[in-house]
This record gives sequence, C-alpha cells and structure tokens, in this order.
Amino acid sequence: MFKKNYRHDNLTAYSMLAPILVGLTIFVLIPFAYAIYLSFTDWGFYQAPVFVGFKNYWVNLTDPLFTKAIWTGLKFTLYVLPAQLVLAFLFANVLKGLKGKFSGFVKSSIYIPTVISGIVASVIFVFIYDYLGGLANYIAGLFGSEPIAWLAEVKYALPAIAIPAIWLGFGITTLIMLAGLLDISESYYEAADLEGAGTFTKMWYITLPLMKNISLFLLVTGFTAQLSQFELSWVMTGGGPVNETQTPNLYILLHFLNDVMIGRSIAAALMFFVVLGSISLVIFKILNSEKAVEG
Amino acid sequence: MGKSTLTFGKAGVTVLSLLITALAIFPLLWMAIAGFKSQEEVLATPFKFLPNVWHFENYTVILRDPAFQKAMGITFIGAIIFMALSVVVNASAAYVFARLDFRFKKFWWVYVMLTYFIPGFSITITSFIVVNKLGMLNTMGVLILPGAASAGSMFFFRQFYLNVPLALEEAALIDGANRFKIFTNIFLPMSLPPFVIIGIGAYLGYWNAFVWPVMTITNEDMFQIMQYIYNFRSGRVAEMHLLMASSFLAALPTIALFLIFQKYIVANLKMSGLK
Repeated sequence: MFKKNYRHDNLTAYSMLAPILVGLTIFVLIPFAYAIYLSFTDWGFYQAPVFVGFKNYWVNLTDPLFTKAIWTGLKFTLYVLPAQLVLAFLFANVLKGLKGKFSGFVKSSIYIPTVISGIVASVIFVFIYDYLGGLANYIAGLFGSEPIAWLAEVKYALPAIAIPAIWLGFGITTLIMLAGLLDISESYYEAADLEGAGTFTKMWYITLPLMKNISLFLLVTGFTAQLSQFELSWVMTGGGPVNETQTPNLYILLHFLNDVMIGRSIAAALMFFVVLGSISLVIFKILNSEKAVEG
Repeated sequence: MGKSTLTFGKAGVTVLSLLITALAIFPLLWMAIAGFKSQEEVLATPFKFLPNVWHFENYTVILRDPAFQKAMGITFIGAIIFMALSVVVNASAAYVFARLDFRFKKFWWVYVMLTYFIPGFSITITSFIVVNKLGMLNTMGVLILPGAASAGSMFFFRQFYLNVPLALEEAALIDGANRFKIFTNIFLPMSLPPFVIIGIGAYLGYWNAFVWPVMTITNEDMFQIMQYIYNFRSGRVAEMHLLMASSFLAALPTIALFLIFQKYIVANLKMSGLK
C-alpha cells in the first residue's frame, strides 16, 4: 500500500521509531547481552571482569540454597495457582448469574486488591499474622488453637505468604474467567438443557472445554508470575525462617545485595530465566497438543 | 435464559457474592480502621475490630509528615510523566509498524519483539550497572526512562491500529497530509481505549514499584512512596498504627484511579487478545 510514499516514509518511520529503539536497546538489550557476558566472569564493582567459564553456573548448581530456592518457588506456585484458578472459576460462574448494579459493585470490589502493591499487601498481612494481636490467631483461637507464629515457623511460613498472593490475584483472574464465560454461546447450554443435562454435566462437557484457551493463558501467566514472586517474602519474612520462604528471585536479589562478586547472581538470574521459560513452554505444548487432538 | 450458572438460588448467590466481596475488601478495610486506633490498641489482645476511640489525628500526622508529602508528590509526578511517555513512545512505534512501509521493517519488528521475551528480573542487575555507568542514579530519569519503551504495550497499540479502516487514512493522504499529521490528528484522538489500559498499567507499575527504586534511589529526598512505606516498616516498628494509616493513604490513589476508569478496564479484559 502507498508504495509511492515509500521513500518519504523512511524518514517518518525512523523518527517515530527512534524512541522505542533507543529505549529498548539501552535498557533491555544491552543489559541482557551484558548479563550473558558477566555471567561468565568473576566481577566486583572494584575490579575488572575475569573470564571464568561456567564457574558461576556451577557454583549456583552446587549451592543447596539455589536448588532449594527453585523448590520453594515451585511449592509457592503450587499453593497459590490451583487455589486461585479454582476459586476464580467457581466464582466467575456465580457472577455470571448476577445482573445490574449489584453485579457491577461485586466486580469492582473484587478487582480492588489487584491494584494494591505487594508492599502494602505485606504490611497488611504482617499485621494479620501478628502473634498476639493478629486476626489469624484470633480465628485460630476460636477453634481452640494456641497462638501460632505464622511467619516464623517452618511449616506455616510459606503457606502464610501464599494467602496474600491469592488475595492479590483473585479479582483479575475471576474477571478474565468471567469474560471467557460470557463468550460461550447460550445455545450450547439450551441444547444441553433439552437433553436434561445437570449443572455439573454442563460444566464438565461444555464450560471447561470452551474455557481451555483462557485457562491456558491464566495458567502460563500465573505460573511465571507466582514463580517470580519475591516482594511478599522479602518484606514479610526476609526469606526466613531458615530460608524457607526464599524464592528464586529473592535468592538472586539477596546475593546481589550481599556478595562482593556479582557474576554469580547474574548467572542465577539467567538460569532461573531458562527454567521459567522452559516450564512455560512445556505447559504450553501439553495443553496445545490436547487441543489439537480435540480438533 | 438457559441455566448455565451454578444453581444456588437467588438468595444463595447474593449471600455468596457478598461474602467473597467482603473477603476481598476486608484486609484493606481492616488496615484503614487500624489506622484510627491508638498505638496500644492496634495489636491489643483480645482482638477487637473497631477502635474504642477513633484517633483521626493518626491520619493527619501522616498527611503532615514532610517525608510522606514529598514521597507522594514525587511519585505522583513521576507516575504521570512515566504514563505519558510510555503511551507516546509505544503508540507512535505501533502506528509505524501497523501502517507504514519502510526499509528493514522486518528486522526492526523482530528486534523489538525479541525484547518481549526477556523477563525484567533477569536484567535487573545489569540494568542497574548500565544506569550507574550513565550517571543516572538518584535522578528521576532512572525511574522513568528504563521502563517506558515496551514491546508488550507497543503490540497492544498495534493490534488496535490494525483495525482502523484504511479509508480514513487514504482520504487524508490525498488531501496532502503527511504521515506524522495523520498519526497525531487521526490516530491519536481515537486511541482512548488503549491509552487508558496502557496508561493505567504504566501508572500502577510506577506507583507500586519497589525493587528498582530501592536499588537506584538512595537520596532520601527522592524516596518513592513504596520505599517510604518499606523504610517506615523497618525503621519504626512500634508505630504500627501510623504504618497502617500511611500504607492505606499510599494505596488510595491507585484505588481511586481504578474506580474512575473501571469501565474501560473491565471492558478491555474482553479484548485483551485472549481469543
């Protein structure tokens, strides 16, 4: 189209593209290339980089804390993601039946936590988990439990941090699910009604298969988001007790802040990026192949 | 209407919805109310939801704290500039990729989209080294410039521009308008829906940012609002009631922004490229 303006377009095109090209080059591509380079060196702020091959990668791989951090991240994701997706799916189905002002009120209210920062959420939940005056122990007390140090005990700390993560993401997940539900044509359900199908039959054979794309989207984005989570544990527990809540990104950050040599934390960041990328890819492939069979 | 929803009966649905809504809002509400309690009462046992005496002065103490005012003000200004910049930079690039033909277009498209797959955290450390070498630490530039150009936002605008009818542009071209004019006079005015989404996303991202400001801003006069909260939390442990009040105040602008623009946000969830 408009081939006659081609030469003139070059100038316009490049002047309008310049900001994004310069920005991405300086702040994304150069740091990325630099990260790859530095990950193969021993480097501190006060000395020149020395090439060390795969040493940094090896140091991380053999550090039990690094593998533990990956496991912690996976465990955390396992606490948050299924709960969030199932709750959001069920509640989106409830919301679908609501009409009018009340529905609008509910939709806006459940979305509000989504705009809250991880820092503010941490502040609230530290308060909720307080040993003596907190809400969590008050509720536990109603069931006859002695006060629990939620954020300081190995078996409770990670689940305790998962709760605010579920809270933060519940609203947006529900609304995306709802958008998907509203796209499903009513005629499917009407046909099923004529056949005498029950609520759960319809959900299993109509709703779930038609929600596959949205679920996939939420699964992959949620997976990477939860596995990358570190603000909550940084502020609420600092990674403790005994590194129990040290997620991969927190591991990387703490090493960067505390170590003299930086190559190692950069290598960890790149390794984590590869792990994250390949897991998303695998999830994507699995769900895609099932979809292909279904045809 | 076909009964496609879970059947709880009308009353059941209403009660359940209210319950979930309450659960979603309760933590914030509790924080807001804790902001009205006295220092002793905020974590007192036995647990009580409402304060015995409402201490309105907690909120005024925070609002009058110069450090809080400074942090709110500077974060607000930064967020507005960041929002405007990311909209302009990404929208203009999107227009070029959607509508113009130019030399090496394929190459630059791949170049830009490649960055989409580089997760922010894997380059946080080296970005810090880069901005340090550029002498940008403790400047507004370090907070505003690095995130402004974004392949994801650009892509979102482009999808929108691809759907604008060609006829609109052809008429203007015949009238002798140049491409830049067409962009500013035709495309920008009709871009409100993507503006709102990308703009609010940028605003929220800036306002809620924590790690990047902590790494790059050490001058207390330039502390961003989440940095202020974080420092407050670690520095003044006993003043939980003031921490609650200030955290709630810090969250208010984002909640207000959402409530004002919620129609656009919810409507856009439907067109966010899920199908």
